[in-house]
Amino acid sequence: MSGEHGELPIAARVRRLEERLIAAGLATDEELDEILERVFTSASPVNGARMVARSWKDPDYRDRLLADGNAAAAELGFGAGTRGYLLKAVENTPDVHNMIVCTLCSCYPTALLGPSPSWYKSFAYRSRAVREPRAVLAEFGLELPDSTEIRVWDANSETRYLVLPLRAEGADEMDESELASLVTRNGLIGTAIR
Amino acid sequence: MGGQTGFGPVPVEDDGQFFHADWEARVYAIVRVLQRRGVINAAFDDLRDAIERIPPAEYLTMSYYERWLRAAEMLLAERKLLADD
Amino acid sequence: MTKFAAGSRVRAQVADPDGHTRLPRYARGHTGEVVEVRAAWQLPDEAVRGVFRAEPVYAVRFNAAELWGSGSHSVILDLWESYLEEAP
Repeated sequence: MSGEHGELPIAARVRRLEERLIAAGLATDEELDEILERVFTSASPVNGARMVARSWKDPDYRDRLLADGNAAAAELGFGAGTRGYLLKAVENTPDVHNMIVCTLCSCYPTALLGPSPSWYKSFAYRSRAVREPRAVLAEFGLELPDSTEIRVWDANSETRYLVLPLRAEGADEMDESELASLVTRNGLIGTAIR
Repeated sequence: MGGQTGFGPVPVEDDGQFFHADWEARVYAIVRVLQRRGVINAAFDDLRDAIERIPPAEYLTMSYYERWLRAAEMLLAERKLLADD
Repeated sequence: MTKFAAGSRVRAQVADPDGHTRLPRYARGHTGEVVEVRAAWQLPDEAVRGVFRAEPVYAVRFNAAELWGSGSHSVILDLWESYLEEAP
């Protein structure tokens, strides 16, 4: 590989790499398209939100989720997407707030949360979340009482985390799909209440 | 990167989009294909390693998927998996 | 039987290795507590050289005050056994 690639506009550089991979038999157009198709159709924060909603409705499911995240994901049909890592759900309580970061790169359970938001990959979030989580949360508009204990989980290894947010008020009167619609991607990462 | 200072406020806006340019999506797919073919190991160790070997001064000027692209190019070149131009 | 168990006080190694590692710089030399023993996983430091050796991984909790000199939160990291020693 030569230095000339650095001078190409990036889109052209990517196209060139694709062509060379295809020529070398390391990829096909169909494979690349299929991977993207799958990301767009199956990797979504709606999946994580469904797991949360089920946990709010079904205490037994909540227990299973906290004990074995991979098995709980598989129960709702997300087993294939969560293979290859340990899925760990961390539960928020009135006294404890959890948030997720990856300081080393930006690891994250894509199948359940969709590809990560830009802010999750930003140098500012990666550097500051472990050092001053309260200040970071305030930038997201989330002000927690001083008495709340904050736990920051650095996904530096093969564990991928999912925050189980505080149960929504009035959850008893809502069905699972209504509850799932209350849960945001930020809530699943711990930068929003839910 | 954990604990470093000076990066300013977190850019909290989120448009919910997975990718912000077509080339970003293509880089994502390329890396996944290389992982599937075993060029990048399943746990992404070698991709992460390559990303970390990008010289820091360059690393800091690159966007996320630019770093993926650069790391994939590095691994492919080091392993001589692509024909020379 | 793993070397450490939940409740063990451990210190992250101080040395900064040459190649790839998953021990973040900010935790080096600091003391924390094992909160969970994870499954064994291949050591990334070696995996990047094509050597696949599984080693126990521990979730270790560090207090902010230990890491940064101030703060009341905690940070939990997954650390491979060879990154850790018994806390002095």
